[in-house]
Amino acid sequence: MKHQALWIGFILAGIAGMAHAQQQKVGAPPESSNMKLVGWSDLQARSAYQPTIHKQGDRFVAYIGHHGGTDDVPMPVNPLTGKPEPNGTSIVDVTDPAHPKYLRHIPGVPGTYEAGGAQMVRVCDGTALPKGDKSAVYMLRTFGGEAHEIWNVADPANPTLLTRLGGLKDTHKSWWECDTGIAYLVSGAPDWRTRRMTQIYDLSDPAHPVKIRDFGLPGQEPGATGQVPTELHGPISTGPQGNRVYFGYGTNKGGVIQIVDREKLLKGPASPTPDNLRAPEVGRLLMSAWNGAHTTFPMLKMPIAEFANDKEGKTRDIVMIVDEAILNECNEARQMIWFADVSIEARPTMISSWTVPEASGHFCERGGRFGSHSSNESMAPVFYKKIALIAWFNAGVRAIDVRDPFHPKEIGYFIPAITDKTDKRCVKIDGKDRCKVAIQTNNVETDERGYVYIVDRANTGMHILELGGEARQVAGLK
Amino acid sequence: MIARRTIVQGSLAGSIVAVLAGLAAFANWYPKPDPDEQATGWRRIGWPFPRDAFPAGRGWRRDGTEVYVRPKLGFCGNCDTGVVDDAEVDGKSDIDLLDTNFVPVAPGKRIQITDLGGRTRLYRIKKDGRERLAQAIAVSYRCDLIVAVVIGPVDDEAVAKAARRFLETNTVQVWLNAQLEGK
Repeated sequence: MKHQALWIGFILAGIAGMAHAQQQKVGAPPESSNMKLVGWSDLQARSAYQPTIHKQGDRFVAYIGHHGGTDDVPMPVNPLTGKPEPNGTSIVDVTDPAHPKYLRHIPGVPGTYEAGGAQMVRVCDGTALPKGDKSAVYMLRTFGGEAHEIWNVADPANPTLLTRLGGLKDTHKSWWECDTGIAYLVSGAPDWRTRRMTQIYDLSDPAHPVKIRDFGLPGQEPGATGQVPTELHGPISTGPQGNRVYFGYGTNKGGVIQIVDREKLLKGPASPTPDNLRAPEVGRLLMSAWNGAHTTFPMLKMPIAEFANDKEGKTRDIVMIVDEAILNECNEARQMIWFADVSIEARPTMISSWTVPEASGHFCERGGRFGSHSSNESMAPVFYKKIALIAWFNAGVRAIDVRDPFHPKEIGYFIPAITDKTDKRCVKIDGKDRCKVAIQTNNVETDERGYVYIVDRANTGMHILELGGEARQVAGLK
Repeated sequence: MIARRTIVQGSLAGSIVAVLAGLAAFANWYPKPDPDEQATGWRRIGWPFPRDAFPAGRGWRRDGTEVYVRPKLGFCGNCDTGVVDDAEVDGKSDIDLLDTNFVPVAPGKRIQITDLGGRTRLYRIKKDGRERLAQAIAVSYRCDLIVAVVIGPVDDEAVAKAARRFLETNTVQVWLNAQLEGK
């Protein structure tokens, strides 16, 4: 009996020690498989949300949207100006990914966490936009929850403000078609019954925005009564060629994927009546109440090797759905990635899912959020329909082989090391905050060269990565 | 040889001990009545709603009024401003559990439950085939939302006030705080 108790004690101590050993420490190396660090920018220790990598002539420039500051440091000092500035947009030259050069910080709205900053950013060339100034490069960004702004960043070190669309109660991750100028702006129109819906603008001439219509799920429109459908997170359009817009609603709860006929959306009656809002919808997939739809990334006409000899259904239209974890230390249902077969648009079907195994890093005990948040949204051939990169908060970035979306498989990962600037994440225990410091990989983007850019919500900056081993082979990189 | 009287007395004593032990176990098995519930007249009832994205809450009834309350962790739309508009009460309170076709009776107003601020709004709903009034309450603590619905004659200020006071009692608050800490 005494011996049994001793053994149980040893085992429990071992388990506790293992969990403790998984806590990140300043100075410890990153954890990785088939992914390697190439370069790093501290982003002035600002909490980062969305990176967009844009090729400007011979240069590659990273535009990074930031959340607001923290309680401890609401306005970090910009070393380029020597002044404290509310978090906004970082502009970094990443032409040489081993030596990223911080060019400029454009301040955002004062305020901490999601109450401030300028978290979203998209970029289009003036040469691509139908009525753009050919010498300009346009950056669309949110300005806190108040407005959307367009800047000319042709000289990325000296951007100039062109346009502001204001009067909003919230904003989020918008989509901008560079070849047409149509923008799907995630906004909070003051009279709508939801914090986030879509305002569609023609920004083909960014200096003169033209409103097309407001859009959302029936029940969200002004004057409606009864149940309010889940709020929007973000859309992705396939443009005039694909003629579809995939809207993702929800973060970690009650997700809805809405497939919309783009032409009917743009040319249909603009008045937000329930019938007019319903008219362009061609399909809808309701997710579990436990999962939301942060990103809905289309991968259309994918050949499925297993179905190669089948008379029908050899290729499938797939949408990868990424949930967003929002609570620290697993205080919610697991948020992960899902693959839906939308080939038959009226009957979308979930075909698979994937999550980081929690036990592989005791991630529920590491601190901060554990779960998916977002995917790369670049459709450059190097990774498109082959590898998806997923930001997974304290589990870093995950490289997933999606060539067979019925059986997604991890082929690489990278969890950055924390620094002395990495911010804490807390949960309440007995009325007091219990805090831990962990990486919080918030978002990821890729460029056409095959570099992977991940940014940290907990102020650890931007890590530029390259793939190795099996992951590199799957991408077809030398 | 043990006397017959001794055996009887022993048996009686044993039975009394057994009954007392049984009563003690019974008392432990069934929770003690909550003094606040007893004092206020509110009686605990079951959570009647189907499972959804959030853990089930708790319900109480007094006379013709029912109160249902639960926390929704991380569900506050804006962690800094809290609940500031009626759209948030419409969309995030549990009013849709009572009737998905709820109709607001009037614009909402600010409310404070203990030290938590938010908004409340009155609705007309259909429950069990008849039209009733319901009050939805949504207050926040940082990013967490605490929602309650009160069904009954809540257009009567005295009824609404009694429900609000009950939400502030230890009966509700101790349980809510434990839920907010994930216990």
